Amino acid sequence: MTGRADARARGLQTTELTKSFGGVTAVDAATVSFQHGKVNAVIGPNGSGKTTLFNCITGMIRPDAGRVSYRGDDITGKPPHRIARAGIGRSFQLCRVFARMTVLDNLLVAVRAPGLPHQLASAHDRDTIDRARGWLVRMGIDHLEHAEARNLSWGQQKLLELAGVLMAEPDTILLDEPAGGVNPALIGRIGALVQQLNAEGKTFIIVEHNMDMVMSICDHIIVFDRGRPIAEGPPAQIRSDDRVLEAYLGV
Amino acid sequence: MRSDSEPTRWRGRVARGAAIAIGCAVILAFPAVADNPYMLTVGIGILNYAVLATAWNFVGGFTGYISLGHAALSGLGAYGTALLVTCAGLPSFVALFVAAALVTVLAIPIGAAALRVRGASFVIVSIALVLILLLVFQSWASLTGGSRGLVVPRPFPALHRAEHHRVFYFLFAALLAMALVAWWVIDRSRFGLGLKAIREDEDKSAALGIATFAGKLIAFVVSAAFTALGGGLYALWFGDLDPVFQFSVLTGSTVVLMALLGGVRHLFGPLVGAVIVGAGLEYGKLEFGDTPLHLVGTGVLLGGVVMFMPEGVIPALSGVLARWFAPREASIREVTAAVLLDSRREPPPRSASGEGPAEVDR
Repeated sequence: MTGRADARARGLQTTELTKSFGGVTAVDAATVSFQHGKVNAVIGPNGSGKTTLFNCITGMIRPDAGRVSYRGDDITGKPPHRIARAGIGRSFQLCRVFARMTVLDNLLVAVRAPGLPHQLASAHDRDTIDRARGWLVRMGIDHLEHAEARNLSWGQQKLLELAGVLMAEPDTILLDEPAGGVNPALIGRIGALVQQLNAEGKTFIIVEHNMDMVMSICDHIIVFDRGRPIAEGPPAQIRSDDRVLEAYLGV
Repeated sequence: MRSDSEPTRWRGRVARGAAIAIGCAVILAFPAVADNPYMLTVGIGILNYAVLATAWNFVGGFTGYISLGHAALSGLGAYGTALLVTCAGLPSFVALFVAAALVTVLAIPIGAAALRVRGASFVIVSIALVLILLLVFQSWASLTGGSRGLVVPRPFPALHRAEHHRVFYFLFAALLAMALVAWWVIDRSRFGLGLKAIREDEDKSAALGIATFAGKLIAFVVSAAFTALGGGLYALWFGDLDPVFQFSVLTGSTVVLMALLGGVRHLFGPLVGAVIVGAGLEYGKLEFGDTPLHLVGTGVLLGGVVMFMPEGVIPALSGVLARWFAPREASIREVTAAVLLDSRREPPPRSASGEGPAEVDR
């Protein structure tokens, strides 16, 4: 009983997770335990396996070995939509939105509708639209509701992608470089949103190269190098860790 | 919403309703206007194409998987119907529905296998399916009649030729209506929105929790059901089947081109495409039947559409109409909180003072 409760409290974990592409081992027996209810960050040099880790966790890539568990359930190798329905949402490194759909439809897609009657019901019912508009207002892009997503600027698309992920009501949200290619004002806005949502109970796991953002909003940082974690801890500790400095700066 | 005001939406609805009413009237009145059986057969041919193109659009339009192999499904529906009549002795229309049901069931393993691959690979798998069936139905002459053909008894032996055509014209129209209604129901549903998300970005859809494989398979099976009904009805109408024409990649491609020409994102796109290409092909055959000029004409038409209306005829025309009647596209730019507040107090400026969709954040 208590073991089960502990496992649920632990949230997302990987055990000895391994994935190779040809001769390159992108993720190498990585055992990582993310802090549930907190803002976690995964940092590390390019090619250190952060995105592959995300893809293995979310089922986009099947790992060669090892386990992924979420709140006590084994989710290793499950199809992506099952993992999403288990409560894990994600954004993509190169922001992906449904380019030829309206901003509103981009959110409505994410609504869960179990059973045939719900599936065949109109996609545009008032309650769902109101909920979607709520997220758009929070992202500050509600004035673009009827625009096609491809006509939005890069920063607006990033906000739209985040809104879509939130519409699916995940407990844990994986963000792959949320600040990539975004202007400083918007980075601040995204950072503030992450902190607000975390205060509302969402767990975040963020891959990010913008150290100012990582250090300011994250509670727990995991440093990756050559496919496995080499250090973890709160920002202050990571900043002064010799192994981290070596991996990043080569000093 | 501000950019999509009530009067605009109502005007759109009225225009659409009027267009649908006119379309129905034209289709229903055609047999009375067509003064000879030949014209009626042209109309049936076009409706048959429209059924097949609309049925294809359940897969092609929603999920974006381009199948050039739907002739396999219509061919199976045709031969299934014919064989159930000739060998099993079923009444014609019972045979039609039983054959369609069998093809629908068969479409589950076919779809499950074919939909594992995307893009060009899926196209090739779908073509392979047609070619395999062509060989099987040509070689298995003891059952299918092979290249000598398979004669299907007429369902209404008492009817004159012209009456026979008239009845089948309305049967095809009814089948088309069924397919259009089913497409419309899916188009506006959550299920349909999920399928359209697959068309846009399959991995992203899965990451949002959409059961992409199941969705694609259901779309394929529904598409197969209507395609088989179209093929079976053709068998009952035409009364003579030849594998070369039933399992033809060329016919399958023509149907796909019709859908693309009309616009695959629109309910009536495949129908409009079928009318344009079907009528064009028939006219070409009539005027230049001895020469391959009708093929040249089709080619020029399709080339023109691809170059000037890549989205199809319907979006191009409705785009022109929208520009005439209602400049309602909101200008897309970063909006400051102050501007947003202002625009909520006042009616929005339409297409803001000529600056167009400015991009501030790029």
